[in-house]
Amino acid sequence: MIEVKNLVKRYGSFAAVDDLSFTVEDGEILGFLGPNGAGKSTTMNMITGYISATEGDVIIDGYNMFDEPEKAKQCIGYLPEIPPVYPDMRVREYLGFVAALRKVPKKDRKSEIDRVMGLARVEHMQKKLIKHLSKGYRQRVGLAQALLGNPKVIILDEPTVGLDPMQISWMREFIRSLAKEHTVILSSHILFEVNAVCDRVLIINHGKKIVLDTPEQIIRTIGGTEGIYVAARADKSRVDEVIAKVEGIQTIREERAPEEGVYACSVFPKPDCDIRETLFRALAQADLPVLEMRSETKTLEEVFITLTGEEGTC
Amino acid sequence: MLAVYKKEMRQAFTSIFGYIFLTFLLALFGIYTYIYNLKLGYASFAYAVSSVSTFFLFLVPMLTMRCLSEEKKQKTDQLVFTSPVSITGIILGKYLALVSILFFAVVIVSAYPFVLSKYGSVNMKVAYSNLGAFFFLGCAYLAIGMFLSALTESQIVAAITTIIVILFTLLADVMKDMIPSDHSISVIVIAVLILILVVISFVMMRNIILSVVLAVAGFGVMIGTYISKPALYDGFLTKLLGWFSLVSRFEDFQYGLFDPTAFVYYFSITVLFVFLTIQAIKKRRWS
Repeated sequence: MIEVKNLVKRYGSFAAVDDLSFTVEDGEILGFLGPNGAGKSTTMNMITGYISATEGDVIIDGYNMFDEPEKAKQCIGYLPEIPPVYPDMRVREYLGFVAALRKVPKKDRKSEIDRVMGLARVEHMQKKLIKHLSKGYRQRVGLAQALLGNPKVIILDEPTVGLDPMQISWMREFIRSLAKEHTVILSSHILFEVNAVCDRVLIINHGKKIVLDTPEQIIRTIGGTEGIYVAARADKSRVDEVIAKVEGIQTIREERAPEEGVYACSVFPKPDCDIRETLFRALAQADLPVLEMRSETKTLEEVFITLTGEEGTC
Repeated sequence: MLAVYKKEMRQAFTSIFGYIFLTFLLALFGIYTYIYNLKLGYASFAYAVSSVSTFFLFLVPMLTMRCLSEEKKQKTDQLVFTSPVSITGIILGKYLALVSILFFAVVIVSAYPFVLSKYGSVNMKVAYSNLGAFFFLGCAYLAIGMFLSALTESQIVAAITTIIVILFTLLADVMKDMIPSDHSISVIVIAVLILILVVISFVMMRNIILSVVLAVAGFGVMIGTYISKPALYDGFLTKLLGWFSLVSRFEDFQYGLFDPTAFVYYFSITVLFVFLTIQAIKKRRWS
């Protein structure tokens, strides 16, 4: 559905986006991840045809954005970082303008506007001036605007920034529901969100692609050694002694005790060693009451920091 | 294009600017018609029209200052320029809306000569060709204002630059009669212009060789013609300023001369600045 080929955007000698290529399949939600200034918005602005590329191509549903911009743009609904709303227009009037701009046939306009207002839940605001709306509602009006004309591709630039927790969780659910009929690109720097919503994640930094994969796969390949967190009601020395005897252990790191008289630590096994069972048996045989034991996987946050932090020049 | 046009029209009349523009313009016409035609008893409607035309200085920026600068500032240009409408279509929609508001005012004013003719003899041809010229002069100024609004994010900057440019076109007419017409001053001015051109070309392209070539060629041609045909430089400045004087073409209409070249001139200015606006927006996408 979306094909990005060797996309480059240079400002003078500075490359904001540097040789970026990826494809997004039909009905997929792609999460676009990167620290601030990584080139997320620049890339999105190029995909939507707002700015031009220095080099490379963007192909939307078979139409090249730079050769046939009008046809390609027809396939895209775009919600930029700041919702592009006119403060002195009413919600319904604004959506009417966007519907006309997006060439929704005149006879369908009314029903189409009602439909997107229903989806974005702004019907009860339709007669209000946009300047009187809160940030959350402006964002929803922006979302309604992006859905007008039922475009195949929906591009959302940080859609949950500035929303309250209720609205954020609603927005996430909503984005998930979009994937049935649409292809979605979503940018964010909130990793939890990307993890919860997206099918695949593209991480970029300094305008370059770092990795493109499913969130689980990224964690698995880059996550590194998984530790096992153990909390037992016993002395530190006693527990350490028992654990040290278990085969295949690399290191033990003490953790903060969850309660009085309890010792907690993280145990890191050698690569490709599953020590969960032996560890449990060792502790049980020593008659040490285990209160909690769980595998610790690296979060996407940690992976992200490892991936983008290494180049940490800025 | 139609969507943009309709939106612009609606915005002009849901905000205060459309009304202020119309009120101000119609009030000025009323006052000047009263003074010249009713109070002082001049037979020609042209005096009123030409007096009001100076007020384009304030009227035009009132309409054009928000045109493109505000879209950029509010980031609504991200919506407009990612919609499946060409940039040319968007700019034309906006420009036609500006022109329509002016046209609306001119249509109302065009009833005045009729009313006046009930009380005396009015030269209809002079009156209407003047109003026509007034409209086309306005169109040219609106195009200039729209172009300047495309260059900035700030309404204020757009308004001030528009006022300065229109003021220059007004003053060019006065200045051209005051400056000496001998060729030495012309040469100095041309030399300064060439220098400015060279500096601009260097700033924009950062190519020292090109700029030097441009400077050498410019001064070479200038000195060459100065030696071989100094008469060419006589009155050059007057002519140069005359090109910028949108108003001087207007004045011919006052005496009942119908000058088609004036219409061509206004039309060319209009087309040029609408074209430049489109280019300015396109360039913004590139940089």
